[in-house]
Amino acid sequence: MSPGAIELVLFAFVLLTALATAAFRDVLAAIIVFAAYSLGMAIYYAVLLAPDVAMTEAAIGAGVTTLLLLLTIAKTVRPGRDEIFESIHWSGLLVVGAFTTVILVTVTSFPEIGASDAPIVSNPEVSQYYIEEAYHDTGVENAVTAVLAGYRGFDTFGEAVVVFAAGVATMVVLHTEVFTRD
Amino acid sequence: MTEDPTEGTEANGETSSREANDEPSSTDSQLPTETDAMGPGGTYVESQVIMTTVRVVAPFTFTYGLFLTFHGGGSPGGGFQGGAVVGTTILMIAFAFGIEPTRDWLSNRTVVGLASGGVLAFALIGLLPLLVGGRFLEHAVYSDEFGLYHGKKYALEGVEIVGIAPIVSAIVIGLFFTIAAGFVGQGAAWQSSGPGSYPEHDLDGGDEE
Repeated sequence: MSPGAIELVLFAFVLLTALATAAFRDVLAAIIVFAAYSLGMAIYYAVLLAPDVAMTEAAIGAGVTTLLLLLTIAKTVRPGRDEIFESIHWSGLLVVGAFTTVILVTVTSFPEIGASDAPIVSNPEVSQYYIEEAYHDTGVENAVTAVLAGYRGFDTFGEAVVVFAAGVATMVVLHTEVFTRD
Repeated sequence: MTEDPTEGTEANGETSSREANDEPSSTDSQLPTETDAMGPGGTYVESQVIMTTVRVVAPFTFTYGLFLTFHGGGSPGGGFQGGAVVGTTILMIAFAFGIEPTRDWLSNRTVVGLASGGVLAFALIGLLPLLVGGRFLEHAVYSDEFGLYHGKKYALEGVEIVGIAPIVSAIVIGLFFTIAAGFVGQGAAWQSSGPGSYPEHDLDGGDEE
């Protein structure tokens, strides 16, 4: 299945905003472009039929992260510079370029989206089990929720505790900073 | 003096009755004093456009967040997404009507209680099956052993609704308020980011300033 027009446009948009996030000198501009990147990714996930992930990306990536970053730069000093874009850091570019090349080489070994010889289709014991038995086993229609809160409930419990602990730790540290600062 | 050192008394009265305020007049009388309290370094800008938009949009996003949470078993969504959307609604209100009034309205104790209660509720739902010889988070026990109608479904939904959603929304709101604490002016940060005894922090803040 070759990518359609929507996928190509979204891919170009996501790639452009990702590059712009890295390239903009001004932090505020980078944050706003990064929010646009998250929105593009959310739409892309929805196009790829992953609405659960799309919602998370839209709410957390485009919404909450942007607000927290905006608050952070509102509290810090932004150096005023005339250049619009960052100057290119050549050794850094070399490392990132090498890393990207390695990743891109592995991409060609992925099966195409929707290909019939993809392992998930040609060897369906695991994925097919969840699709067929999720309702019977857990009582909910959404297989993603069934896996996350049912089959993998223990992992989700761990994740929830991690979110709680990380949030509380951050609040405690920042709270101390606010109250001990002169 | 323990009441409020920076804001006028009538503005404080308005703040406590924010939930009921619908008339633009009461909002107008409250917000200018809030801006004064933040001082010249404050970043809150009173905007009629933002306030009106948020007032219209907030009920819908809040309802949508609750829908995602409660209907996560039947449609895309779930506790994490729903909790994030509910938390974002509070952030939106804080951006429109000022962070400090929103923080006063939604006390720190509520936020921390939601997060801790979520973890405890999740653990409780997981631990109850152990009483009758089941395994941790074995939802089927709720229908088989406890005899609840659709017990395993409601146990799974319960994990999403009273476990994950409160944790995520409370952490989102808490992080926002904590990060926002410093930049609305020292006085405002001192007086209301303290958990527990509110007036004492007022006095401490006054001494330091």
